Amino acid sequence: MLFLQALVSGILSGGVYALAGIGMSLVFGVMNISNFAHGDLMMLGMYLAYFAFTLLHIDPYLALLLIIPVSFLFGFILEKVFIHRVIDHPHQNQILLTIGLGLIMSNTALLAFTSDPKILTTTYSSSAINTASGLSISVPLLLSFVITSVITAVLYLFLAKSSTGMALRATSQNREAAQLMGINVAKMSAIAFGIGTALAATAGALIAPTYYIHPLAGHSFLLKSFTICVLGGLGSVVGAGVGGIIIGVVESMAATYISTDWKDVVVFVLFLTVLLFRPQGLFGKKGGQ
Amino acid sequence: MKQALIIALFALFTALLPLIIGEENPYIIGIMISVLMMAALSSAWNIIGGFAGQFSFGHAAYFGAGAYTTLILISSFELNPLIGAAAGMVVAALIALVTGSIVFGLRGHYFALASIAVAEIIRLSVLNFEFTGGAQGILLANVTLWGLDLNSKTPFYYGMLLLLIVTLTVTEYLRKSKTGYYLQAIREDQDAASSLGINLALYKNRALLISALLTSIAGSLYALYIRFIDTSAVLDLRLSIEIILTAIIGGVGTLWGPVLGALLLVPLAEALRSNMIGDALVKFGLVSETSSVGIFLNENLAHAHVLVYGIITVLCILYLPKGILGLFRRVK
Repeated sequence: MLFLQALVSGILSGGVYALAGIGMSLVFGVMNISNFAHGDLMMLGMYLAYFAFTLLHIDPYLALLLIIPVSFLFGFILEKVFIHRVIDHPHQNQILLTIGLGLIMSNTALLAFTSDPKILTTTYSSSAINTASGLSISVPLLLSFVITSVITAVLYLFLAKSSTGMALRATSQNREAAQLMGINVAKMSAIAFGIGTALAATAGALIAPTYYIHPLAGHSFLLKSFTICVLGGLGSVVGAGVGGIIIGVVESMAATYISTDWKDVVVFVLFLTVLLFRPQGLFGKKGGQ
Repeated sequence: MKQALIIALFALFTALLPLIIGEENPYIIGIMISVLMMAALSSAWNIIGGFAGQFSFGHAAYFGAGAYTTLILISSFELNPLIGAAAGMVVAALIALVTGSIVFGLRGHYFALASIAVAEIIRLSVLNFEFTGGAQGILLANVTLWGLDLNSKTPFYYGMLLLLIVTLTVTEYLRKSKTGYYLQAIREDQDAASSLGINLALYKNRALLISALLTSIAGSLYALYIRFIDTSAVLDLRLSIEIILTAIIGGVGTLWGPVLGALLLVPLAEALRSNMIGDALVKFGLVSETSSVGIFLNENLAHAHVLVYGIITVLCILYLPKGILGLFRRVK
C-alpha cells in the first residue's frame, strides 16, 4: 500500500518535472545550449500564477491561458536580444550567459518580491481524493498532471504534424542542413526558446499551489531538469517526458523509504550513475557527445 | 623586464600592506584577505577551467572539503590545524578523482553538469549528517598553532598571500610544462589532441587534482580565519559561480586575469554589501536620504551585489568574452 501510494504520488509530481524537462530538452535539441536560466524561468511562472491569483483573482490553472503566451513572448525576446548572440560560441560562454540572465532574474525578483516565501492557497490546495482501496490522491497534483498530459500531447502533435514543428525537428537534427533546405534556423531558435520558456513557466505555475513561492525556488528545479534531460537523452523530447516521470517516482520512493532529507541526493546519484553507465541517456542513440 | 618590475613592486606593496595599514584598521585587512582568497581560488580554478577548458561549476565542493575537514578534526579530535588542512586535501583529492573518473570520458556540457551534481550531493550530505553540524554549521572558539595565537587577521593575510603566490607559480610552471601544452591542446581541439596520442582523461584529471588541492587549502585557511562555517558559506553553488565569474571578468586562461578579477569584484561586492554606494549618493546630495529612492537604496543595495554580478557576467560574455585582460591583447 505504501509502495502504491509512493508510486502514484511520484507519477503525479513527475508529470510537472517532465514538462520542465521537455522545455529544457527542446532548447537543447534545437539550439545545442544548456539553459541555466531554466529554473529561474520556472520561478517567474510561479510568481505569474501567484499574482494572477492574488491581484486578478484568476485560478492558477486557468491563468495558464495567460501565462503561456506571455512567457512564450518573454522567451522569444530573451533569445532575440541575448541568447542568439552566443549560439556559435563555446559551451562555457553559453552556460555563463544563461547563468548571468538567471542571476538577474532571481535577484530582481528578490528585490521586487522580497525573500519572504509566498503561499498560494486555493480552495483545493490541500484537498485529496480518497479511493476505496485507501489511496490518497492530491487534487492539485492530479489536476496539474492532467494539464501536463494535455500540453505534452498538443506539443507532440505540433512537433510531429505542423510545418513549424517539422522545421524545429529538422533544425534539431542538423542545423546546417536545415538552413540549406531554406529553414529560417534563427527564427526556429527563438521559437524553441519561447516554447522552452513557456513550458518552464507552466511547470512553475502548476506547482505554485503546492509549493513555497520564493525568488530562489528555481535553483533545485534547474538541477532536476538537467537530470531529466540526461536521463532521457539530451535533446530527446519523448525521453525527457519519460525521464520526468522516472525522477518523480525515484524522488517519491526515496522520500518514503529513505527520508525526505535525502531525496535530492538520491536523484543526483542517479544522475551520476546514468552518466557513468549510459551517458547517451535511456532513449538517446548518439554516442556520449 | 618592465612587466617584471611592475609585478615586483606590486608584490612588495602587497607584502607590506598590513604594516602600512596596521592592526587598527582590521576592516581593510579583512577585505584584502577576501581579495587574496578570491584571487587564489579563481587562479586555482583557472588551471582546470582556463587552461584545460573544462568548466567546473562545483569548486565549492573542494573549498568545503578543506574547510569542513579542518574544523571537524580540530573541534572533535583537537588535532593540529596543519593535520586538518592535510586531511582536507586528501578529501578534496578523492572528490576530484571520483568526479574526474565519472565525466572525463565525456565532453561538452557533461563535465559542467556532473561537477554541479557532485557538489550538490556533498552539500546536501553535509547538511543532513550530524557529525558535520548539519544546518547549524561548526563554530570554533579559538585556534592555536604551536602556541601561536591565530585570532588576529595578519597571519591569515600572509597565509592567503602565500597561497596565491604558490597558485600563480604552479600555474606559470604548468603553462610552460609538457602537461600545460597538452592541456591547452585539449582545450583548443580535443579530437586533434586525442589523435596525437594525448591521454585526455589522464591530463584532465591531473589538472583537476592540482586545482582541487589548492582550492582545499584556501578552504582550510578560510575556516581557521572565520572559525565558523556552514553549508551556505562554504559549499553553495553561489561560491562556485563567483569563483568562475572572477576568472571570466579578469580573463580566463591568463595568469593574471583571476587576480585582476578579484581586485575588481571583491571590493565592488563589499561596497554594495556595506551600502557604500548608497551612502556616497546621499553624501554628494544626489539622492536625499529620506526620499523614497534613498530609502529604497538603503534597504536593497545590500542585497544587490549578486544582481550586479549577473549584469556584469552578461555584459562580459556579450562584449568582452576574453575578459578585461583581453582588451589589452586584442592585437595578437
